[in-house]
Parts: sequence; structure tokens; C-alpha cells
Amino acid sequence: MLWRDLSVILRQPLSWAKNSVIRTAVACQLCSKGIQNLTATKPLLHCSPGQLLSQRTSSQPLWTQVRGMKSRRNPHTESQQEEWKKRNKTILTYITAAGVGMIGISYAAVPLYRLYCQASGLGGTAVVGHDAEKVESMTPVKDRILKITFNADVHAGLQWNFRPQQSEVYVAPGETALAFYKAKNPTDKPVIGISTYNVVPFEAGQYFNKIQCFCFEEQRLNPNEEVDMPVFFYIDPEFDDDPRMARVDTITLSYTFFEAKEGQKLPLPGYS
Amino acid sequence: MSTAMNFGNKAFKPRAPDKGSFPLDHFGECKNFKDKYMKCLRENSYENSLCREQSKQYLECRMDRQLMTKEPLQKLGFKDLLDENSQNSTETGS
Repeated sequence: MLWRDLSVILRQPLSWAKNSVIRTAVACQLCSKGIQNLTATKPLLHCSPGQLLSQRTSSQPLWTQVRGMKSRRNPHTESQQEEWKKRNKTILTYITAAGVGMIGISYAAVPLYRLYCQASGLGGTAVVGHDAEKVESMTPVKDRILKITFNADVHAGLQWNFRPQQSEVYVAPGETALAFYKAKNPTDKPVIGISTYNVVPFEAGQYFNKIQCFCFEEQRLNPNEEVDMPVFFYIDPEFDDDPRMARVDTITLSYTFFEAKEGQKLPLPGYS
Repeated sequence: MSTAMNFGNKAFKPRAPDKGSFPLDHFGECKNFKDKYMKCLRENSYENSLCREQSKQYLECRMDRQLMTKEPLQKLGFKDLLDENSQNSTETGS
């Protein structure tokens, strides 16, 4: 089977290969016939190769003999060769289709994986069911009290005095709570700041939900102005069910203010 | 929390607040309510559950002065306080 395939591949219409193969075949044939003549008729041991070649079996010149070999195909195997050719073509088509299909799958995998992550909530991606009705219907878990500590930071370039107004608050999961920060602009120019926040420990961050706060939007403070900045938040009651959170009883909320440059558009998470 | 060594793990992804951002209270219109709330916190050793009435009043002040979008207080998690109030009023009424 393999031998037949090899012979088929050898006979493919790649002209250079065919010619060279046929030429060697012909040379082999003539050589073998020459040796036959030698052994059969005349013991010419000291004959030259030219004399050997001159003893050709047919009267035709060598190149026509070779060219004749090209068209003189074996009629019995022609249909079989056609079949092989067709089969090779279909195999090639299948392989090409598989290759294109794999490339397509690798492109499609990106959005599909994202959808899967959202549906299963793997890897900490925000599950889409983070809605407001939950706030209405949740009941506080009174037997688990958490201490929320507050931290305030300011970027070096921003000259505000920014600090929390309470150092900690004791809150139960499922209970909405209010906390205040204070910011003062001691300079003579209006300054625009923008803030972001961070929650420690990291895994508790997904249970920390802010209903309303002052982050991610530009806040403008006039010269020598002091404002109270509230944060209205709650800890998801499912916090109590999470075994990883069993030993967590302190959560730290840390806000950092940066100066917002005019016309600078920061990528805001969750906002368009 | 991503410390300097924590490159392999996921970084903290801040989420936008559910109802957006509070407009700044430039004129201190609700400062009294805030002071009342802070006083309550200090007196009760910073326990939130004992000061919910004051936080409710602060948010109501904000809503009255267009510093917060008006929303029914149940949606802000004050359902228990409202139920208590209605209960008290029906008791006193009857």
C-alpha cells in the first residue's frame, strides 16, 4: 500500500522530477540490457561505456526513447491513478478545511471564554447579577460584625488635605453604611481631583459594594474650600457564607486622589 | 491587594459605584446632618447599626437639595427603619 502510494507520488506531473526519475530508469534499463548482451554474446570486458551504449536494443535514438516513455503510460493503471488523484484532492481539501477551522476557533475563543467567565463567575469577574433589588431585599447578618477601617491617600502632585472623618466603622454584612471623608483645597487655585479606591484583603473586595461614592469622577474644589465626601456602601451578605472569609474581620477601604489634568480622559471602570 | 511581589495573581479591579458618584456638597447644606451622624458614631463606639437613623436623615437631606438622585429609601437598604417608623406611627395613631 505504501509502495503504491510512493509510486503514485513519484509519477505526479512535476516535470523535472519525472524526467530525472525516468532518465535514471531508462539508464538502468539500458545498462542492464547492456550487461545482458555482454554476458550473453561477447565477453568484451575491456569495452568502453560508449561502445556499451552504442549496443542499443532498438534503432531509435535515446531521447525519443525517453520521450516515448512519457506518453507510454500503463493503460491498466490509468483509472487507478485517476482514483488516487481524486482521493488525494479530497484529502487535501479536508486538511485545508481543518486548518482554516482551527484558525477560526482560536479567534472565536476569546469572546466565548469571556462569556463563560461571566456566567460562571470564575476568576473574580463581576457576575452580572449585581443589581439594586438585592439591596432592597437583603437582610443583615447580625452575628457577624466587621470592622471597616478607612485610609486616605493623595498623589504627590495634588495639594489637597484629604483624610477620613472616622477611623473605623463596625458594620454587619447586608447592612448599608455611611462613611465620610473630608477634603480641603488649601491653594489659591481651583483644583480638580479624581480618585480611585482599593480594598484589602483582596478577596473581600468582591463583596464590598459601593452604592454611591465620590470616586472615578472629577471633583472640583475651589480655592480654600473644604467639603465632606460621603461613601455609601454595604458588604454583601454572602460574605458570611464564603469559607475563605471565615477569618476575615477587618476590611480596609483606601482612597487615593490624583490630580486630573484638563482634557485628560481616564479609563473609568464600568462607565462608558 | 497587589503588593510588589504579587505579579502572578490577579490585580484588584475597582468597580464603579452602583448609583454613580455623589455630587460635591460645596455649600455644606447637609453639614448639620453629617455632624449629627458623626456625633452618634462617636458616642456609640462607631457602630453603624445604632446610627442608621442619622444616616437615613443625611441621605434624605441630600435628596431634598438635589445632591442625590431621589430614590425610595427601601432601595437604599432602609426598609427596616421605614417599617419601624410606620409601625410606630400606626401604634401612636390608633
